[in-house]
Amino acid sequence: MTIVQTGADLLISALRSSTPMAFALCGEIMGERAGVVNIGIEGEMLVGAATAFAVTAVSGSPWVGLLAGAAAGAVLSVVHGVLCLVCRANQIASGVAVLALGAGCSSYFGTPYVGRQITSFAPFTLPGASPGVAAVLRAVSPTMVLGLAVPLALGVLLFMTRTGLRWRAVGEAPAAARLLGINVSAYRWTAILLCGVLAGLGGGALSVDYAKGWSEGMTTGRGLVAIGLVVMTRWNPLWTTPVAMIFGAAESLSLSIQSRGVGVSPYLLALFPYLTPLVILALHARFSRRQGTMPASLADILQLGA
Amino acid sequence: MKALARKSWPVAAGLVTFVAVTALLFGRATPSVTGFFAMLWKGAFGDGYALSETLVKATPTLWCALAVAVPAQLGLVSIGAEGQMYAGAIAGAGAVFLFPHQPAWLLLPLMLAAAALSGGCWGSAAGWLKARFGINETVVSMLQNFIAINLLEYLIHGPWIAANSGNWPETAEFPQAAILPPIVAGLRTHVGIFGAVAAAAALWFVARHTRSGLGGIMEASAVQNRLESAFLQGYGISGYLVSWLAGHDFLLIVPMALVMGAILTSADTLQLNAALPASSAIIIQGVLFTCILGWTSFVRSRR
Repeated sequence: MTIVQTGADLLISALRSSTPMAFALCGEIMGERAGVVNIGIEGEMLVGAATAFAVTAVSGSPWVGLLAGAAAGAVLSVVHGVLCLVCRANQIASGVAVLALGAGCSSYFGTPYVGRQITSFAPFTLPGASPGVAAVLRAVSPTMVLGLAVPLALGVLLFMTRTGLRWRAVGEAPAAARLLGINVSAYRWTAILLCGVLAGLGGGALSVDYAKGWSEGMTTGRGLVAIGLVVMTRWNPLWTTPVAMIFGAAESLSLSIQSRGVGVSPYLLALFPYLTPLVILALHARFSRRQGTMPASLADILQLGA
Repeated sequence: MKALARKSWPVAAGLVTFVAVTALLFGRATPSVTGFFAMLWKGAFGDGYALSETLVKATPTLWCALAVAVPAQLGLVSIGAEGQMYAGAIAGAGAVFLFPHQPAWLLLPLMLAAAALSGGCWGSAAGWLKARFGINETVVSMLQNFIAINLLEYLIHGPWIAANSGNWPETAEFPQAAILPPIVAGLRTHVGIFGAVAAAAALWFVARHTRSGLGGIMEASAVQNRLESAFLQGYGISGYLVSWLAGHDFLLIVPMALVMGAILTSADTLQLNAALPASSAIIIQGVLFTCILGWTSFVRSRR
């Protein structure tokens, strides 16, 4: 195996690990850009993962499953929307409610599917490709491609269109946006639903494509880690891929050390994907000079300076 | 009286919505909807055993809720109670395994002190990172939960696994001297509930810093008599919900924790009698929280 090939293998496996996280990050960024924090994203991912897996198992099509997962995430996000925008509840509390509902429902309805087999996406092939290229193509899956494309699309939407400008205005200064005739609650509803769709897609990518199975609580905090990592993207979708790769690289590294039979407990290795973001967040906070990128209206929700 | 009525009707409306949604979701599991709620009631308060179980489940919930309420009163949002409990349980058990042959009067305080210290350090790590680097404490406390859980798993799968467990991940049973005495012989209710209620009362008098590490080791010592995999799972969320529903008020937290203990216990009954999966307990909690949060916030925002 050449060095190039090993490097490509590592990169691809890190990318594969980071794909569900990338969707979640995009969702959280878009929500927070409109001034909505969503801790329930973990619950939305779980519901998306369970639904996508169950529908794939029943219908036989991973694409239908993925769509169903996105829809399930959106349905659960309606709860967050009603609590935050209609009832004006505290967003953190509402997020915890959504988290509990998502964890409970996914486990309740997902139990019959534990241990079921599914046919996932067919690998990409290219006739006449060299063995190296063919190997890379085989290792790449549709959700990985989607996970790379979605941040680009959202970056364009957010920074190069009028809609994106208004979207950011709603998160930055909702009162001023309202005076300019922007329908703040319509933008926030859209943001919450989009966050639900992306979280559901992330969950679906996890169960249908990455793990090819469903188990209770299988997201293991990916959504929650995403909320932490949003700070590092500076609320810019274009930074999603490299930031998600931090978690992805840590996870795939700990898995590959494990599979080589190194005599370290897998539970200690499992600390890695959580310790790494923590350390990097601390380093980032220590050395970053530009702290002013957070959408201003989030400050009240996160009780900064309180 | 009028003020009380004005404050409590949104809660009542939330409860009615909760009953309706729960009946819709789970009513089919039993022959009649009233039978379902009768089963819930009997499961939580029906006899001495049920009542004892309710108190057993209310105890760690109460500790966790206090661990949410204290930082909340300082304007900090912590979701790390579960991790703090695991950290406390690990340190407390460590003390027990280091000095297994000490008498109870020495071992119990030692165990509780180690647990409280560890839970406290674990909790204040989030506070320190916030103060030093300005990292959001909510995020850190959530990450810490996963770190604590994996540390526990490492210990009970590795260094601390019981010799006679046949590779089942659990530690050896605690020595008799390290087990909190039950209140009534034969039932699992233990003196930890007095500790938790006393802590709530003390906090009500002087709002001071508490940690939930104590709750974790008390559950391990009195209820499980050892450390097992994920034995505290869900108490963090329950504690958060309790603290929120009580408006982070130390005295209101006590009855709310009892209600939560009752829900958790009756969910066990549902599992046995109506063949509902264990996750129904989480759904029931989630629905309860959603309904009450929704109604109270709605009414407040329209006033």
